[in-house]
Amino acid sequence: MGATLAQQAVPRDTGVFEFLLDPDRWTGSTGILASGADSVLLCAAVIVTSIVLAVPAATVLAHGRRLELTSAWVVNIGRAMPTFGVAGLLVPFSLRAGYGFEPWPIFIALTLLTVPPMYLSTYTAIRQVPAGAVDAARAVGYTERDVLLRVELPLALRVIGTGVRVAAVQVVATEPIRAFLGGDGLGRYVRDGLGQNNSNLVIAGAILIGLLAASTGLLFAGLEWLLMPAGVRRLGGARTGRVQSSDATILTTDDGDGEAAGGPPGLHVASEPAEAGASSGGVRGSP
Amino acid sequence: MSDESPPALRLKGVRKRFPGANQDAVQALDLAIPRGAIVSLIGPSGCGKTTTLRMINRLIEPTGGRIELEGTDVTDVDATELRRGIGYVIQQVGLFPHRTIGANIGTVPRALGWDKRRIAERTDELVDLVGLERDMLPRYPDQLSGGQQQRVGVARALAADPPVLLMDEPFGAVDPIVRGRLQDELLALQERVHKTIVLVTHDLDEALKLSDRIALLNVGGVLEQFASPDELLRAPASSFVERFIGGGRSMRRLGLTTLAAVTPHRGSVVSVDATPQQARAAMDEFRTDWVGLTDDDDRFLGWVARASVADGVALDTLERHEPAATVTPDDTLATALETIMNSRTLVAVVREGERFLGVVTLEQIHAELGALRDAGDAAA
Repeated sequence: MGATLAQQAVPRDTGVFEFLLDPDRWTGSTGILASGADSVLLCAAVIVTSIVLAVPAATVLAHGRRLELTSAWVVNIGRAMPTFGVAGLLVPFSLRAGYGFEPWPIFIALTLLTVPPMYLSTYTAIRQVPAGAVDAARAVGYTERDVLLRVELPLALRVIGTGVRVAAVQVVATEPIRAFLGGDGLGRYVRDGLGQNNSNLVIAGAILIGLLAASTGLLFAGLEWLLMPAGVRRLGGARTGRVQSSDATILTTDDGDGEAAGGPPGLHVASEPAEAGASSGGVRGSP
Repeated sequence: MSDESPPALRLKGVRKRFPGANQDAVQALDLAIPRGAIVSLIGPSGCGKTTTLRMINRLIEPTGGRIELEGTDVTDVDATELRRGIGYVIQQVGLFPHRTIGANIGTVPRALGWDKRRIAERTDELVDLVGLERDMLPRYPDQLSGGQQQRVGVARALAADPPVLLMDEPFGAVDPIVRGRLQDELLALQERVHKTIVLVTHDLDEALKLSDRIALLNVGGVLEQFASPDELLRAPASSFVERFIGGGRSMRRLGLTTLAAVTPHRGSVVSVDATPQQARAAMDEFRTDWVGLTDDDDRFLGWVARASVADGVALDTLERHEPAATVTPDDTLATALETIMNSRTLVAVVREGERFLGVVTLEQIHAELGALRDAGDAAA
């Protein structure tokens, strides 16, 4: 890797779509596909690393109700962390240690960006599991491990999934800054466009980055749906089962329950098709 | 329950101090809970009733003292094993929202490694026992009403047929009407399953209605009185107990006595085949202006006014009025009083199904209350 300095300038009169629809721009070592693969590879590495670092730790700590203050603290630090600054700061160290411009500085900076929100959403997800269910699980003789694996984790899965998805989208949307730190990836078109004073190229790059981020969101939403056990999938607002009971109060308490199971509303950043379908179903079902 | 058999559950000097607290939440509590009895723990907030309950299945570990379940110290048993042998019902029900009703009920049997057929059979049995429909089994908890969920909670607690059932304000989260029904169901259920039930409640009326014995705790887990509901009302052991029970002791005692326990009283009621003279004699005897008629099968036909009774006119040709107040022998004196007051009459007809058993009048209730009070004074 490393910036390809020998790239030819894109003529300024090339239109945005003319650029994007030209097959020659997609192929080759500096083509869109190669740059996209570069981005995807780095993002995947960051997301997987962040999940491994954040989710198990947050799950276990939240289960034991431990380090609550530390958790808030970590998250606040994370929020204040300037990713670009951190990456820039790491570059000289990386160079001195012989690791080059890429990919360690940007990898570390992006991981630092991702871990705190993932950690927070997982911690919150476990904590918002109905206390009664956890209490009852202990009372029927579940071991602590069973309480965590068979009650807390399944009931938190939805919110954890949302947290991972939001963080993943954030990684993909932030990753292009590597192009300004001696790297490539899809950010190169924005950088090159700025360098060549070619706004069409900047816009084309932005579109590509946006598409990748949006696809990431969709991909993770799909994964969530596939990996979720049936009993969990229907929770969190997705109420596929028709309310058959004669008791009409169920309909009135529906929203409240959905909220409780779906976690803090703030964490539902992207709205899912499943939710929309369910709420319209609810309207049909009410008398 | 017999006094000779050892108690199912015995607390000996049980103490709990939470970390960081400078006072015991429960200090030296002794309690013997008879087998097959419903015992309520009741008291003001901070009296340690829930703490005590949770120490029994070691959701909270006692700081000192001994808790014996069927003679065995609970701390000698593995907590997981212990809990599988004790049913537990909580206020928030605590059903697993991601599992079907069937899976919820089968939680403990599954943990115990029963085979699928046996679990399914047991689940069906329990659903019938707690009065739910079998077609609810594949549904999820949020598709049930609060009362139905609470029944599932009870079914789950009973799944492995534990001898002891702990209930922490089990009916606290449902509305009063459903609560009353669930209480009746619990009593009917207990008739069949004969569990040893320890119940935490803050509702005195619930404790009075459900319990064989009530343990009234003061702040810090001090046992103020451990007595039957009637004794608690009749002879409060301390001024604290008296204050806790508050006013309305007489009314509450009426609520503990069922009509079945009161001497039946035929009142001014005659057979429809009786003569007008006999009808008048009955009204005179009871100083009323109404006479009730029953048929050969002892069915109550209605009330007839004195003014319409005339010599030579058969009673069954007279205009009859449906009784405004009817009660059953299972109703309490308090219910009878309430029914009579609401009907704006002075008498309620006691019927079991179709069968006429007698009448209950305001005077009678008054007399019963006097008898209760006299018995109380004698005991005190």
